[in-house]
Amino acid sequence: MSYEMWAEKYRPKSLKEIINQKEIVERLSSFAQSKNVPHCIFAGPPGTGKTTAALCLARDLYGKGYREHLMELNASDERGIKIVRETVKTFARTRSIGEIPFKILILDEADNMTSDAQQALRRTMERFTETCRFIMIANYSGKIIEPLQSRCAPFRFSYMRKEDQDRYLQNIIEKEDIKILDEGYDAIFEVSQGDLRRATNTLQAAASMGKVIDADTVYSVTGRANPEDIGQMIKTAMKGDFLGARKMLRDMIMKYGVAGSDIIKQIHTAVFRSKLPDSWKVTLSEAVGEADFRVVQGADVEVQLSALLARFTEAGQELSRGG
Amino acid sequence: MSTTWTQKHKPQTLNEIVGNSEAKQQLLNWLKSWSKGIPKKRAALLHGPPGVGKTVTIETLAKELKMDLIEKNASDYRTAEAIKRFAGLASQYNTLFGGKRLILLDEVDGIAGREDRGGVKELTKILKTTKSPIVLTANDAYNPRFSTIRKYCAVVPFKKPTIREGVSHLKRICAKEGIDADEEALKFIVERAGRDVRSAVNDLQAMAQGKTRLVKDDVAWLAGRDRKEEIFDVIRTIMYSKDSWEAKKAASNADVDPDMLFNWIYENAPYHLTDPSDLVKAMDSLALADIYRQRIRDTQNWGLLRYVIDFMTAGVAAARQQSKTGGWIPFRFPEKIRMLSTTKGERALRFGIGTKVWKRCHISATRSSKEVLPYLKIIFQNNPEMAAGLASWLELDDEMIEYLAGDKKQTKAIIAKLE
Repeated sequence: MSYEMWAEKYRPKSLKEIINQKEIVERLSSFAQSKNVPHCIFAGPPGTGKTTAALCLARDLYGKGYREHLMELNASDERGIKIVRETVKTFARTRSIGEIPFKILILDEADNMTSDAQQALRRTMERFTETCRFIMIANYSGKIIEPLQSRCAPFRFSYMRKEDQDRYLQNIIEKEDIKILDEGYDAIFEVSQGDLRRATNTLQAAASMGKVIDADTVYSVTGRANPEDIGQMIKTAMKGDFLGARKMLRDMIMKYGVAGSDIIKQIHTAVFRSKLPDSWKVTLSEAVGEADFRVVQGADVEVQLSALLARFTEAGQELSRGG
Repeated sequence: MSTTWTQKHKPQTLNEIVGNSEAKQQLLNWLKSWSKGIPKKRAALLHGPPGVGKTVTIETLAKELKMDLIEKNASDYRTAEAIKRFAGLASQYNTLFGGKRLILLDEVDGIAGREDRGGVKELTKILKTTKSPIVLTANDAYNPRFSTIRKYCAVVPFKKPTIREGVSHLKRICAKEGIDADEEALKFIVERAGRDVRSAVNDLQAMAQGKTRLVKDDVAWLAGRDRKEEIFDVIRTIMYSKDSWEAKKAASNADVDPDMLFNWIYENAPYHLTDPSDLVKAMDSLALADIYRQRIRDTQNWGLLRYVIDFMTAGVAAARQQSKTGGWIPFRFPEKIRMLSTTKGERALRFGIGTKVWKRCHISATRSSKEVLPYLKIIFQNNPEMAAGLASWLELDDEMIEYLAGDKKQTKAIIAKLE
């Protein structure tokens, strides 16, 4: 077994190696061949190959020394207008030396940029088109302001199909010489839901246990990736102890750093697996969905989710009254 | 629900009451003199600013002298009618079982300005003839209405304790609560409370409950003119006002940072709006306020602030339908802010690991610290060899390795593989 992050080690190096997103890969390859790239938006859920596609495109375009012509920025670490004013501008305005006259700037998690920063980007993009092409990567293209969208060629990435994911994992499994049962594949797909990075991380963590990977290993890995029990939190809320439930939520977020989206996903699953009457399941899912949407839009995870917990407390009370 | 610290740590002996040693001595002498027959002044009038220990001094004296304390609140003796009702109490020195009585009429300021003038007259009559000692407390003894009452009372002034005395009182509480508190932090609390000991104890509880250490930084937010009172006033209005407009106005008039106020309301609302349907409405309102906070962050359009205020004040105030009122529930310092400081080191460490991952893996530090880190933890806790490989590939330092490994033993195993 090798000791790097497999998600990185087995990241495709060239567009040819990308196994899914056929139409997208075809168009990007044609950009590479014609040595011309428009500004692009890559939108889609996490782990579907957006960053990989951008890196592959750059490598296919520039060859070995591609790093010199490329800049990667992460809007969620360095969001805000200052970064656009300084870093982006400095990079964008200097001409590239070599056959291809423009550089590529990958702006990852661009949907986390404030709209001010996006507005500033709009002028930069226009002024320096000759010397720099932008690839903006986002989970939700809706959070990119309209004027930027209209300057970019849009690409929509979709989730991996199971055959594709299995094929990709199989390659890793052979190279790393690990043993896995068929049910292991199924379980990984169930927990990753087509997010290839999550799938690969799950595989690596499962492999670190040093046994044949079966479904149980996979589930225990995902269970342990989330230290606090979501089910327990919901139970506490429904029992009427809202304050206790809110404390558990806080610990999850602040102490253990669990991602809000993960908590919401698990709450959603827990609602449907529960023994609640169907009408309540629907009511509560509506609240879960709303919280999910709001958090995606950038609202505070704890505030939104504790509003959701209050709903569980209310539901608990109604149910105990036989409602 | 935990009790308030002012109750829990109420002084039990005269010595535990800080300051006012002269006043305490004067009262003690006066009460003792009753054993030699009724003294010239049958009542004492204790006066001084709030929270300096008037009531607690009487309660403690009664305990030490083994007297039965009969406490009457302002509402009990507002009118002549009400005063006549307890006049009988004062007619005898001994109780039915031979114990001695001490009658306390708290906060008589109430009587002075009230509708019923007869009250003062009636009270004066009792003071002249009582066979049990009567103690009155007031904030302002020199109110003209008291002039007749004053004539029949030994006047005992209570002063604010010094800062040092106030601090020593807080220290005693901290010791009992197992809190290691910096002198400076306590001094700051006492000063900010204007040497009102009761108020300082309430503040201490809000700042320090559940902690083991209290430093100046924890209390520094109290700075600024009466910010705490302002925040408390606003929250009180929001939680208990029937009029949502009033709640909104209170917030708009207060000179408090809206984000800070939001956190206070978010922390305290569930303690006061306990009925689940009220709670849902209040939390929904706060969630809406939060959405507007985020819209402001995204667009920098501060005009939207008015909606944040609407939802977090009027919205929460309007939520109260079923929740019971009553009982004094202390306001709590926002746990979120407290946790931000207590988990600061941990979060910095996680972000540090995230940054290492980011350098290698084309995924932002923020996201890797949430999405990759849990898997690293599993690997580090199960497979020292793979962990060592990853540690050197990611260039993690020892502290990061220990955080991921979870304990010292596993950390050693990993570091051994590294060398």
